[in-house]
Amino acid sequence: MSIKSNKKYKSDNPEDIFDPDSDNAIVIKDLVKNFDDVIAVNGLNLEIKKGELFGLLGPNGAGKTTIINILSGLLVPTEGTAFVGGYDVRKNLNKVKKLIGVCPQEAAVFKFLTGRENIELFGHLHEVPKSEIKERVTNLLKLVNFTEASKRKAKGYSGGMLRQLNLLIALISDPKIAFLDEPTVGMDPRARRKTWEFIGSLKDQNKTVILTTHYIEEAEALSDRVGIIDYGELIALGSPKELMEKHESKNLEEVFLKITGRRILEGI
Amino acid sequence: MNVQKILALVKMELKNLIREPANLFLMLLFPAVLTIVFGFAFNDPELDMEFSSMVPGLFAYACIFIIMTIAQSFATEREEGLLKRMNTTPMTSGEFMGSHIISNMFIAVIQVIIVYGLAVFLGFRSQGDVSGFFLAFLFMILLSLSSVGLGLITATVSKSPGAATGISFIFILPQMFFGTFMPITSNTRIIGMFLPSFYVTDSLTSIFEGASLTEANILINLAIISIIGVIIVIIGIQLFKKFGNR
Repeated sequence: MSIKSNKKYKSDNPEDIFDPDSDNAIVIKDLVKNFDDVIAVNGLNLEIKKGELFGLLGPNGAGKTTIINILSGLLVPTEGTAFVGGYDVRKNLNKVKKLIGVCPQEAAVFKFLTGRENIELFGHLHEVPKSEIKERVTNLLKLVNFTEASKRKAKGYSGGMLRQLNLLIALISDPKIAFLDEPTVGMDPRARRKTWEFIGSLKDQNKTVILTTHYIEEAEALSDRVGIIDYGELIALGSPKELMEKHESKNLEEVFLKITGRRILEGI
Repeated sequence: MNVQKILALVKMELKNLIREPANLFLMLLFPAVLTIVFGFAFNDPELDMEFSSMVPGLFAYACIFIIMTIAQSFATEREEGLLKRMNTTPMTSGEFMGSHIISNMFIAVIQVIIVYGLAVFLGFRSQGDVSGFFLAFLFMILLSLSSVGLGLITATVSKSPGAATGISFIFILPQMFFGTFMPITSNTRIIGMFLPSFYVTDSLTSIFEGASLTEANILINLAIISIIGVIIVIIGIQLFKKFGNR
Protein backbone atom coordinates (compact mmCIF):
# COMPACT_ATOMS: atom_id res chain seq x y z
CA MET A 1 0.00 0.00 0.00
CA SER A 2 1.24 3.43 -0.82
CA ILE A 3 -0.41 6.70 0.04
CA LYS A 4 -0.36 9.04 -2.87
CA SER A 5 -0.47 12.80 -2.72
CA ASN A 6 -3.63 14.35 -1.38
CA LYS A 7 -3.31 17.01 -4.05
CA LYS A 8 -2.80 16.32 -7.73
CA TYR A 9 -0.73 18.69 -9.78
CA LYS A 10 -1.50 19.41 -13.37
CA SER A 11 1.64 20.93 -14.76
CA ASP A 12 4.72 18.90 -15.65
CA ASN A 13 6.98 21.84 -14.94
CA PRO A 14 7.82 21.76 -11.23
CA GLU A 15 8.41 25.53 -11.16
CA ASP A 16 4.81 26.12 -12.22
CA ILE A 17 3.24 23.91 -9.64
CA PHE A 18 4.42 25.26 -6.36
CA ASP A 19 2.67 28.23 -4.90
CA PRO A 20 5.08 30.30 -2.79
CA ASP A 21 2.17 31.64 -0.77
CA SER A 22 1.14 28.13 0.12
CA ASP A 23 0.79 26.95 3.71
CA ASN A 24 3.29 24.21 2.96
CA ALA A 25 6.91 24.41 4.02
CA ILE A 26 7.80 21.28 2.08
CA VAL A 27 6.22 19.71 -0.97
CA ILE A 28 7.57 16.40 -2.22
CA LYS A 29 6.36 15.32 -5.63
CA ASP A 30 6.80 11.89 -7.23
CA LEU A 31 10.19 11.58 -5.59
CA VAL A 32 12.31 8.60 -6.57
CA LYS A 33 15.85 7.81 -5.50
CA ASN A 34 17.68 4.74 -6.72
CA PHE A 35 21.12 3.53 -5.67
CA ASP A 36 22.07 1.20 -8.52
CA ASP A 37 19.44 -1.56 -8.26
CA VAL A 38 18.13 -0.50 -4.86
CA ILE A 39 15.05 1.73 -4.75
CA ALA A 40 15.52 3.87 -1.64
CA VAL A 41 12.60 6.23 -2.25
CA ASN A 42 9.76 5.06 -4.44
CA GLY A 43 7.41 7.71 -5.83
CA LEU A 44 6.94 9.69 -2.64
CA ASN A 45 4.34 12.46 -2.51
CA LEU A 46 4.04 14.46 0.67
CA GLU A 47 3.22 17.93 1.93
CA ILE A 48 4.42 19.29 5.25
CA LYS A 49 2.84 22.45 6.58
CA LYS A 50 4.65 25.53 7.82
CA GLY A 51 5.14 25.36 11.59
CA GLU A 52 4.39 21.65 11.66
CA LEU A 53 6.43 19.11 13.60
CA PHE A 54 6.40 16.12 11.30
CA GLY A 55 7.60 12.73 12.47
CA LEU A 56 9.10 10.49 9.82
CA LEU A 57 9.10 6.90 11.01
CA GLY A 58 10.17 3.65 9.47
CA PRO A 59 12.25 0.54 9.98
CA ASN A 60 16.00 0.57 9.33
CA GLY A 61 16.74 1.17 5.67
CA ALA A 62 13.22 2.39 4.94
CA GLY A 63 14.48 5.54 3.22
CA LYS A 64 14.09 8.18 5.95
CA THR A 65 17.65 9.47 5.84
CA THR A 66 17.66 9.39 2.04
CA ILE A 67 14.60 11.66 2.06
CA ILE A 68 16.28 14.07 4.49
CA ASN A 69 19.47 14.02 2.40
CA ILE A 70 17.50 14.91 -0.73
CA LEU A 71 15.61 17.70 1.04
CA SER A 72 18.86 19.15 2.38
CA GLY A 73 20.62 18.95 -0.98
CA LEU A 74 23.09 16.18 -0.21
CA LEU A 75 21.54 13.82 -2.75
CA VAL A 76 20.05 14.50 -6.16
CA PRO A 77 16.70 12.79 -6.82
CA THR A 78 16.59 10.17 -9.56
CA GLU A 79 13.08 11.31 -10.51
CA GLY A 80 10.60 13.86 -9.22
CA THR A 81 11.55 16.76 -7.03
CA ALA A 82 10.92 18.51 -3.74
CA PHE A 83 10.29 22.10 -2.78
CA VAL A 84 11.70 23.39 0.48
CA GLY A 85 10.39 26.78 1.56
CA GLY A 86 9.15 27.25 -1.98
CA TYR A 87 12.48 26.49 -3.63
CA ASP A 88 13.13 23.52 -5.87
CA VAL A 89 15.98 21.41 -4.46
CA ARG A 90 17.05 20.64 -8.01
CA LYS A 91 17.27 24.27 -9.09
CA ASN A 92 17.60 26.59 -6.09
CA LEU A 93 19.75 24.64 -3.68
CA ASN A 94 21.60 27.71 -2.42
CA LYS A 95 18.32 29.31 -1.39
CA VAL A 96 17.20 26.07 0.24
CA LYS A 97 20.42 25.93 2.28
CA LYS A 98 19.76 29.38 3.70
CA LEU A 99 16.45 28.22 5.14
CA ILE A 100 17.43 24.92 6.70
CA GLY A 101 19.29 23.52 9.67
CA VAL A 102 20.35 19.88 9.55
CA CYS A 103 21.10 17.62 12.48
CA PRO A 104 22.67 14.54 10.87
CA GLN A 105 22.29 11.01 12.18
CA GLU A 106 25.97 10.73 13.13
CA ALA A 107 27.28 13.50 15.38
CA ALA A 108 29.39 15.49 12.91
CA VAL A 109 31.49 17.91 14.95
CA PHE A 110 35.11 19.06 14.90
CA LYS A 111 36.68 17.16 17.79
CA PHE A 112 39.59 19.59 18.28
CA LEU A 113 37.23 22.53 18.74
CA THR A 114 35.26 23.27 21.88
CA GLY A 115 31.49 22.92 21.80
CA ARG A 116 31.09 26.69 21.61
CA GLU A 117 33.65 27.01 18.81
CA ASN A 118 31.83 24.33 16.81
CA ILE A 119 28.50 26.16 17.06
CA GLU A 120 30.13 29.50 16.26
CA LEU A 121 31.87 28.05 13.19
CA PHE A 122 28.60 26.77 11.76
CA GLY A 123 27.00 30.12 12.60
CA HIS A 124 29.57 31.78 10.35
CA LEU A 125 29.01 29.18 7.62
CA HIS A 126 25.27 29.87 7.82
CA GLU A 127 26.00 33.59 7.38
CA VAL A 128 24.65 34.58 10.79
CA PRO A 129 25.71 38.22 11.30
CA LYS A 130 29.03 38.27 13.15
CA SER A 131 27.66 40.65 15.80
CA GLU A 132 24.88 38.20 16.69
CA ILE A 133 26.74 34.90 16.81
CA LYS A 134 28.13 35.05 20.35
CA GLU A 135 24.80 36.05 21.87
CA ARG A 136 22.89 33.40 19.91
CA VAL A 137 25.35 30.69 20.98
CA THR A 138 25.13 31.78 24.61
CA ASN A 139 21.32 31.63 24.50
CA LEU A 140 21.28 28.22 22.84
CA LEU A 141 23.73 26.81 25.35
CA LYS A 142 21.69 28.13 28.26
CA LEU A 143 18.53 26.52 26.89
CA VAL A 144 19.96 23.02 27.22
CA ASN A 145 22.32 23.65 30.18
CA PHE A 146 25.34 23.12 27.98
CA THR A 147 27.28 26.27 28.89
CA GLU A 148 29.95 24.63 31.06
CA ALA A 149 30.45 21.64 28.75
CA SER A 150 30.77 23.95 25.76
CA LYS A 151 34.06 25.28 27.09
CA ARG A 152 35.70 21.88 26.67
CA LYS A 153 36.96 20.30 23.46
CA ALA A 154 34.42 17.99 21.82
CA LYS A 155 37.05 15.23 21.83
CA GLY A 156 36.26 14.57 25.50
CA TYR A 157 32.47 14.52 25.14
CA SER A 158 30.31 11.50 25.86
CA GLY A 159 28.04 10.17 23.11
CA GLY A 160 25.03 11.99 24.57
CA MET A 161 26.90 15.29 24.78
CA LEU A 162 28.03 14.97 21.16
CA ARG A 163 24.37 14.46 20.23
CA GLN A 164 23.35 17.60 22.07
CA LEU A 165 26.08 19.58 20.37
CA ASN A 166 25.03 18.07 17.04
CA LEU A 167 21.51 19.41 17.60
CA LEU A 168 22.62 22.87 18.73
CA ILE A 169 24.77 23.28 15.63
CA ALA A 170 21.69 22.62 13.49
CA LEU A 171 19.82 25.44 15.20
CA ILE A 172 22.42 28.23 15.32
CA SER A 173 21.12 29.79 12.12
CA ASP A 174 17.60 29.98 13.60
CA PRO A 175 16.40 27.99 10.58
CA LYS A 176 12.83 28.18 9.33
CA ILE A 177 12.99 24.46 8.58
CA ALA A 178 14.93 21.97 10.71
CA PHE A 179 15.76 18.39 9.70
CA LEU A 180 16.51 16.33 12.78
CA ASP A 181 17.70 12.85 11.86
CA GLU A 182 17.45 10.67 14.98
CA PRO A 183 18.62 13.49 17.25
CA THR A 184 18.27 11.63 20.54
CA VAL A 185 20.02 8.32 19.74
CA GLY A 186 22.55 7.50 22.43
CA MET A 187 21.19 9.97 24.98
CA ASP A 188 20.33 8.84 28.49
CA PRO A 189 16.60 9.02 29.36
CA ARG A 190 16.94 12.32 31.25
CA ALA A 191 18.88 14.04 28.43
CA ARG A 192 16.40 12.62 25.95
CA ARG A 193 13.41 14.05 27.84
CA LYS A 194 15.13 17.42 28.03
CA THR A 195 15.85 17.32 24.32
CA TRP A 196 12.20 16.45 23.64
CA GLU A 197 11.18 19.57 25.51
CA PHE A 198 13.67 21.55 23.50
CA ILE A 199 12.47 20.13 20.18
CA GLY A 200 8.86 20.73 21.27
CA SER A 201 9.71 24.37 21.98
CA LEU A 202 10.75 24.81 18.34
CA LYS A 203 7.08 24.51 17.43
CA ASP A 204 6.33 27.55 19.56
CA GLN A 205 8.82 29.47 17.45
CA ASN A 206 6.77 28.50 14.37
CA LYS A 207 9.58 26.41 12.93
CA THR A 208 8.88 23.49 10.67
CA VAL A 209 10.59 20.42 12.05
CA ILE A 210 11.06 17.11 10.28
CA LEU A 211 12.03 14.54 12.85
CA THR A 212 13.13 11.00 12.09
CA THR A 213 13.36 8.68 15.03
CA HIS A 214 13.31 5.07 16.12
CA TYR A 215 11.76 6.06 19.45
CA ILE A 216 8.09 5.82 18.54
CA GLU A 217 7.05 7.40 21.85
CA GLU A 218 9.20 10.39 20.88
CA ALA A 219 7.30 10.83 17.64
CA GLU A 220 3.98 10.30 19.43
CA ALA A 221 4.76 12.90 22.07
CA LEU A 222 6.14 15.55 19.73
CA SER A 223 4.65 15.22 16.29
CA ASP A 224 1.61 17.00 14.89
CA ARG A 225 1.56 14.44 12.11
CA VAL A 226 3.47 11.29 11.43
CA GLY A 227 4.43 9.60 8.19
CA ILE A 228 5.48 5.96 8.20
CA ILE A 229 7.87 5.00 5.46
CA ASP A 230 8.73 1.49 4.38
CA TYR A 231 10.64 0.34 1.32
CA GLY A 232 10.81 3.97 0.26
CA GLU A 233 7.02 4.36 0.19
CA LEU A 234 4.74 6.36 2.45
CA ILE A 235 2.45 3.72 3.93
CA ALA A 236 0.66 5.73 6.61
CA LEU A 237 0.04 9.43 7.18
CA GLY A 238 -1.88 11.31 9.85
CA SER A 239 -1.78 12.64 13.37
CA PRO A 240 -0.78 10.06 16.00
CA LYS A 241 -4.38 10.08 17.25
CA GLU A 242 -5.85 9.54 13.77
CA LEU A 243 -3.49 6.66 13.08
CA MET A 244 -4.25 5.01 16.41
CA GLU A 245 -7.97 5.26 15.76
CA LYS A 246 -7.70 4.04 12.20
CA HIS A 247 -5.60 1.03 13.15
CA GLU A 248 -7.43 0.40 16.45
CA SER A 249 -4.25 0.60 18.46
CA LYS A 250 -3.43 1.79 21.98
CA ASN A 251 -0.36 3.69 20.92
CA LEU A 252 1.72 4.63 17.90
CA GLU A 253 4.18 1.83 18.45
CA GLU A 254 1.38 -0.68 17.98
CA VAL A 255 0.35 1.10 14.79
CA PHE A 256 3.93 1.00 13.56
CA LEU A 257 4.30 -2.70 14.29
CA LYS A 258 0.94 -3.52 12.73
CA ILE A 259 1.64 -1.66 9.51
CA THR A 260 5.28 -2.56 8.97
CA GLY A 261 4.79 -6.09 10.28
CA ARG A 262 1.86 -6.70 7.93
CA ARG A 263 4.00 -5.71 4.98
CA ILE A 264 6.57 -8.28 6.00
CA LEU A 265 3.89 -10.97 6.35
CA GLU A 266 2.34 -10.01 3.03
CA GLY A 267 5.77 -10.16 1.45
CA ILE A 268 5.50 -6.65 0.03
CA MET B 1 33.02 34.69 -1.79
CA ASN B 2 32.10 35.55 1.77
CA VAL B 3 35.06 36.79 3.84
CA GLN B 4 33.38 35.95 7.16
CA LYS B 5 33.05 32.29 6.19
CA ILE B 6 36.60 32.05 4.82
CA LEU B 7 38.10 33.64 7.94
CA ALA B 8 36.09 31.32 10.21
CA LEU B 9 37.34 28.28 8.26
CA VAL B 10 40.96 29.50 8.24
CA LYS B 11 40.75 30.05 12.00
CA MET B 12 39.37 26.53 12.45
CA GLU B 13 42.13 24.99 10.32
CA LEU B 14 44.86 26.83 12.20
CA LYS B 15 43.36 25.64 15.48
CA ASN B 16 43.55 22.12 14.06
CA LEU B 17 47.28 22.69 13.48
CA ILE B 18 47.93 24.06 16.95
CA ARG B 19 45.74 21.65 18.93
CA GLU B 20 46.56 18.39 17.18
CA PRO B 21 50.06 17.39 18.35
CA ALA B 22 50.73 15.28 15.23
CA ASN B 23 49.97 18.21 12.91
CA LEU B 24 51.93 20.65 15.03
CA PHE B 25 54.96 18.36 15.00
CA LEU B 26 54.80 17.62 11.29
CA MET B 27 54.25 21.18 10.11
CA LEU B 28 56.28 23.27 12.53
CA LEU B 29 58.42 21.24 14.94
CA PHE B 30 59.69 18.70 12.41
CA PRO B 31 61.20 21.31 10.06
CA ALA B 32 62.72 23.01 13.10
CA VAL B 33 64.22 19.78 14.46
CA LEU B 34 65.49 18.81 11.01
CA THR B 35 67.18 22.17 10.54
CA ILE B 36 68.88 21.89 13.93
CA VAL B 37 70.01 18.29 13.29
CA PHE B 38 71.33 19.11 9.82
CA GLY B 39 72.92 22.28 11.13
CA PHE B 40 74.94 20.38 13.70
CA ALA B 41 75.64 17.34 11.52
CA PHE B 42 76.72 19.07 8.32
CA ASN B 43 78.34 22.25 9.54
CA ASP B 44 81.69 20.50 9.66
CA PRO B 45 84.14 21.83 7.01
CA GLU B 46 85.74 18.37 6.78
CA LEU B 47 82.58 17.04 5.17
CA ASP B 48 81.89 17.39 1.46
CA MET B 49 78.28 18.39 2.18
CA GLU B 50 77.79 21.89 3.46
CA PHE B 51 74.89 22.93 5.62
CA SER B 52 74.42 26.18 3.65
CA SER B 53 73.84 24.25 0.44
CA MET B 54 71.13 22.23 2.19
CA VAL B 55 69.13 25.15 3.63
CA PRO B 56 67.11 25.89 0.44
CA GLY B 57 66.09 22.23 0.32
CA LEU B 58 65.01 22.32 3.96
CA PHE B 59 62.47 25.04 3.14
CA ALA B 60 60.94 22.93 0.38
CA TYR B 61 61.14 19.80 2.52
CA ALA B 62 59.00 21.36 5.25
CA CYS B 63 56.39 22.51 2.76
CA ILE B 64 55.85 19.20 0.96
CA PHE B 65 54.47 17.66 4.16
CA ILE B 66 51.43 19.87 3.67
CA ILE B 67 50.38 17.12 1.20
CA MET B 68 50.02 14.69 4.09
CA THR B 69 48.20 17.01 6.50
CA ILE B 70 45.76 18.18 3.80
CA ALA B 71 45.05 14.59 2.73
CA GLN B 72 44.52 13.49 6.34
CA SER B 73 42.35 16.48 7.12
CA PHE B 74 40.02 15.97 4.14
CA ALA B 75 39.84 12.20 4.63
CA THR B 76 39.00 12.70 8.34
CA GLU B 77 36.36 15.34 7.62
CA ARG B 78 34.80 13.04 5.04
CA GLU B 79 34.88 10.00 7.34
CA GLU B 80 33.33 11.91 10.25
CA GLY B 81 30.51 13.34 8.13
CA LEU B 82 31.79 16.90 8.47
CA LEU B 83 32.07 17.52 4.74
CA LYS B 84 28.45 16.46 4.31
CA ARG B 85 27.37 18.65 7.18
CA MET B 86 29.22 21.66 5.79
CA ASN B 87 27.56 20.93 2.44
CA THR B 88 24.16 21.58 4.02
CA THR B 89 25.20 25.17 4.78
CA PRO B 90 25.33 28.00 2.23
CA MET B 91 29.15 27.63 2.13
CA THR B 92 30.44 27.32 -1.44
CA SER B 93 33.18 24.91 -2.51
CA GLY B 94 35.26 27.95 -3.53
CA GLU B 95 35.09 29.32 0.02
CA PHE B 96 35.96 25.92 1.47
CA MET B 97 38.90 25.23 -0.83
CA GLY B 98 40.04 28.86 -0.64
CA SER B 99 40.23 28.67 3.15
CA HIS B 100 42.42 25.56 2.93
CA ILE B 101 44.73 27.27 0.44
CA ILE B 102 44.99 30.42 2.58
CA SER B 103 45.64 28.58 5.84
CA ASN B 104 48.34 26.41 4.24
CA MET B 105 50.00 29.42 2.63
CA PHE B 106 50.08 30.94 6.09
CA ILE B 107 51.68 27.76 7.44
CA ALA B 108 54.29 27.90 4.63
CA VAL B 109 55.18 31.46 5.67
CA ILE B 110 55.64 30.35 9.28
CA GLN B 111 57.82 27.46 8.07
CA VAL B 112 60.06 29.91 6.18
CA ILE B 113 60.45 32.04 9.29
CA ILE B 114 61.27 29.04 11.51
CA VAL B 115 63.72 27.37 9.12
CA TYR B 116 65.40 30.64 8.14
CA GLY B 117 65.71 31.81 11.75
CA LEU B 118 67.24 28.52 12.91
CA ALA B 119 69.53 28.30 9.88
CA VAL B 120 70.88 31.79 10.57
CA PHE B 121 71.31 30.85 14.23
CA LEU B 122 73.38 27.84 13.10
CA GLY B 123 75.66 29.93 10.94
CA PHE B 124 73.88 30.13 7.57
CA ARG B 125 74.37 33.44 5.81
CA SER B 126 72.41 34.43 2.71
CA GLN B 127 74.21 36.47 0.05
CA GLY B 128 70.88 37.93 -1.05
CA ASP B 129 69.24 41.09 0.29
CA VAL B 130 65.87 41.57 1.98
CA SER B 131 64.02 41.28 -1.34
CA GLY B 132 65.47 37.77 -1.67
CA PHE B 133 63.85 36.88 1.63
CA PHE B 134 60.45 38.00 0.34
CA LEU B 135 61.08 36.13 -2.88
CA ALA B 136 61.65 33.01 -0.81
CA PHE B 137 58.23 33.58 0.77
CA LEU B 138 56.67 33.81 -2.68
CA PHE B 139 58.22 30.54 -3.86
CA MET B 140 57.15 28.76 -0.69
CA ILE B 141 53.60 30.07 -0.99
CA LEU B 142 53.45 28.75 -4.56
CA LEU B 143 54.85 25.40 -3.45
CA SER B 144 52.19 25.23 -0.74
CA LEU B 145 49.59 25.68 -3.51
CA SER B 146 50.80 22.60 -5.37
CA SER B 147 51.01 20.72 -2.05
CA VAL B 148 47.35 21.53 -1.33
CA GLY B 149 46.44 20.22 -4.80
CA LEU B 150 48.42 17.01 -4.32
CA GLY B 151 46.85 16.62 -0.87
CA LEU B 152 43.38 16.85 -2.44
CA ILE B 153 44.29 14.25 -5.08
CA THR B 154 45.57 11.99 -2.28
CA ALA B 155 42.37 12.48 -0.25
CA THR B 156 40.27 11.68 -3.34
CA VAL B 157 41.83 8.26 -3.81
CA SER B 158 42.15 7.44 -0.08
CA LYS B 159 39.35 5.61 1.66
CA SER B 160 40.46 6.55 5.18
CA PRO B 161 42.77 9.00 6.98
CA GLY B 162 45.25 6.14 7.53
CA ALA B 163 45.32 5.35 3.82
CA ALA B 164 45.75 9.07 3.09
CA THR B 165 48.92 9.11 5.19
CA GLY B 166 50.44 6.19 3.28
CA ILE B 167 49.35 7.32 -0.18
CA SER B 168 50.64 10.85 0.41
CA PHE B 169 54.19 9.45 0.38
CA ILE B 170 53.76 8.74 -3.35
CA PHE B 171 53.97 12.50 -3.80
CA ILE B 172 56.25 13.28 -0.85
CA LEU B 173 59.14 10.84 -1.41
CA PRO B 174 60.04 11.75 -5.01
CA GLN B 175 59.97 15.43 -4.12
CA MET B 176 62.06 14.74 -1.04
CA PHE B 177 64.75 12.79 -2.92
CA PHE B 178 64.84 14.75 -6.15
CA GLY B 179 63.84 18.24 -5.13
CA THR B 180 65.00 19.17 -1.65
CA PHE B 181 68.28 18.86 0.24
CA MET B 182 69.59 15.70 -1.43
CA PRO B 183 72.46 16.46 -3.85
CA ILE B 184 71.19 16.57 -7.43
CA THR B 185 73.10 14.71 -10.13
CA SER B 186 72.63 15.04 -13.87
CA ASN B 187 70.40 11.93 -13.77
CA THR B 188 68.24 12.93 -10.83
CA ARG B 189 67.89 16.43 -12.33
CA ILE B 190 65.78 14.97 -15.15
CA ILE B 191 63.38 13.39 -12.66
CA GLY B 192 63.42 16.52 -10.54
CA MET B 193 62.21 18.63 -13.44
CA PHE B 194 58.82 16.95 -13.11
CA LEU B 195 58.51 17.89 -9.44
CA PRO B 196 57.36 21.24 -7.98
CA SER B 197 59.89 21.26 -5.11
CA PHE B 198 62.82 21.03 -7.58
CA TYR B 199 62.07 24.50 -8.97
CA VAL B 200 61.68 25.98 -5.51
CA THR B 201 64.95 24.53 -4.20
CA ASP B 202 66.75 25.57 -7.38
CA SER B 203 65.42 29.13 -7.09
CA LEU B 204 66.07 29.46 -3.36
CA THR B 205 69.66 28.27 -3.91
CA SER B 206 70.16 31.07 -6.46
CA ILE B 207 68.35 33.63 -4.29
CA PHE B 208 70.51 32.84 -1.26
CA GLU B 209 73.57 33.16 -3.49
CA GLY B 210 72.47 36.69 -4.33
CA ALA B 211 70.27 36.28 -7.41
CA SER B 212 67.40 38.76 -7.85
CA LEU B 213 63.92 38.46 -9.29
CA THR B 214 65.07 39.89 -12.61
CA GLU B 215 67.38 36.99 -13.38
CA ALA B 216 66.17 34.65 -16.10
CA ASN B 217 66.32 31.36 -14.22
CA ILE B 218 64.37 32.84 -11.28
CA LEU B 219 61.70 34.24 -13.55
CA ILE B 220 61.42 30.98 -15.48
CA ASN B 221 61.22 28.96 -12.26
CA LEU B 222 58.64 31.38 -10.88
CA ALA B 223 56.52 30.97 -14.00
CA ILE B 224 56.86 27.16 -13.94
CA ILE B 225 56.00 26.76 -10.24
CA SER B 226 53.05 29.17 -10.62
CA ILE B 227 51.66 27.22 -13.57
CA ILE B 228 52.30 23.85 -11.88
CA GLY B 229 50.70 25.09 -8.63
CA VAL B 230 47.57 26.42 -10.30
CA ILE B 231 47.14 23.36 -12.55
CA ILE B 232 47.62 20.87 -9.69
CA VAL B 233 45.27 22.71 -7.36
CA ILE B 234 42.59 22.95 -10.06
CA ILE B 235 42.94 19.22 -10.82
CA GLY B 236 42.84 18.47 -7.08
CA ILE B 237 39.71 20.54 -6.51
CA GLN B 238 37.89 19.08 -9.51
CA LEU B 239 38.79 15.49 -8.63
CA PHE B 240 37.83 15.94 -5.00
CA LYS B 241 34.53 17.62 -5.88
CA LYS B 242 33.65 14.84 -8.30
CA PHE B 243 34.92 11.72 -6.57
CA GLY B 244 36.27 12.62 -3.14
CA ASN B 245 33.27 14.12 -1.40
CA ARG B 246 31.32 10.88 -1.04
